[in-house]
Amino acid sequence: MSRDENTGPSPRTTGRTGTDGRDPGPDASPGGGVERGGIGSGPGRALVAVYGLFALAAGARAAVQIATRFQEAPIAYTLSAFAAAVYILLTVALARGARRTALWAAGIELAGVLLIGTADLIDPAAFPDETVWSGYGRGYGFIPLVLPLVGLYWLLRKRR
Amino acid sequence: MNGGVAAGVIAGALVLALVSLIVAFRNRAMGMVLLIGFAVLEVAVLVQAGLAVAAAVAGEGPSDQVTLYGYLVGTAIIPPAGVVLALAERSRWGSAILAVAGFAIAVMTGRLLQIWQGVV
Repeated sequence: MSRDENTGPSPRTTGRTGTDGRDPGPDASPGGGVERGGIGSGPGRALVAVYGLFALAAGARAAVQIATRFQEAPIAYTLSAFAAAVYILLTVALARGARRTALWAAGIELAGVLLIGTADLIDPAAFPDETVWSGYGRGYGFIPLVLPLVGLYWLLRKRR
Repeated sequence: MNGGVAAGVIAGALVLALVSLIVAFRNRAMGMVLLIGFAVLEVAVLVQAGLAVAAAVAGEGPSDQVTLYGYLVGTAIIPPAGVVLALAERSRWGSAILAVAGFAIAVMTGRLLQIWQGVV
């Protein structure tokens, strides 16, 4: 995580090229000025943090659900674990600069939140206990719905 | 669980999130103020966790102890994780990460209070 990082006192304004050894890309966006690295630096690192947070939240939730009451709603809890796995995969893929993997995972994430959100609306009885994607991420301020859109935007914008 | 400590943690975390957001908007990387602020927040979170564990061992608190401990561990991990990422990202986005971390601590501590009272 903090490998190869300059933690010295001077704020970094240059030299952030290809931290992950992946396509640095020609675009130095005028907004931030410093994000010149791969998909895991600059705004991408903030995305890594948010995905990491959701990996923690969804992973802990799924672990508790499966460990304590799996029989009550096996499908919902399996989906809960799946959501957690997707968040973990995205966190790692973004941090390591694996663009293709991150794109696939973000696509699956978007499909998952839309499918489970819709299924939950149509048949609430199938989901007696909530997953992070229930009600389009209602329990988490709809961030699970917005996050894949932001992620896909970021990944596609970073295309060569 | 100690309501006063929780209120202090929530208020402090929200202030830190706001300061981090301002720093990010001003296009600055994390400075000493934020670093010390999050260190203090971590100490407060650990004190809160210690008090909660002591009370839970004494028989107070919710029946769902697994969730309780999950939240306590989560809140203890987030400030140092945010600082590590902010040190790696010496730009405004590092400060943005701290804004997320501060907000997450405030929300999770609020949930922790609910869990403790058995609301959900």
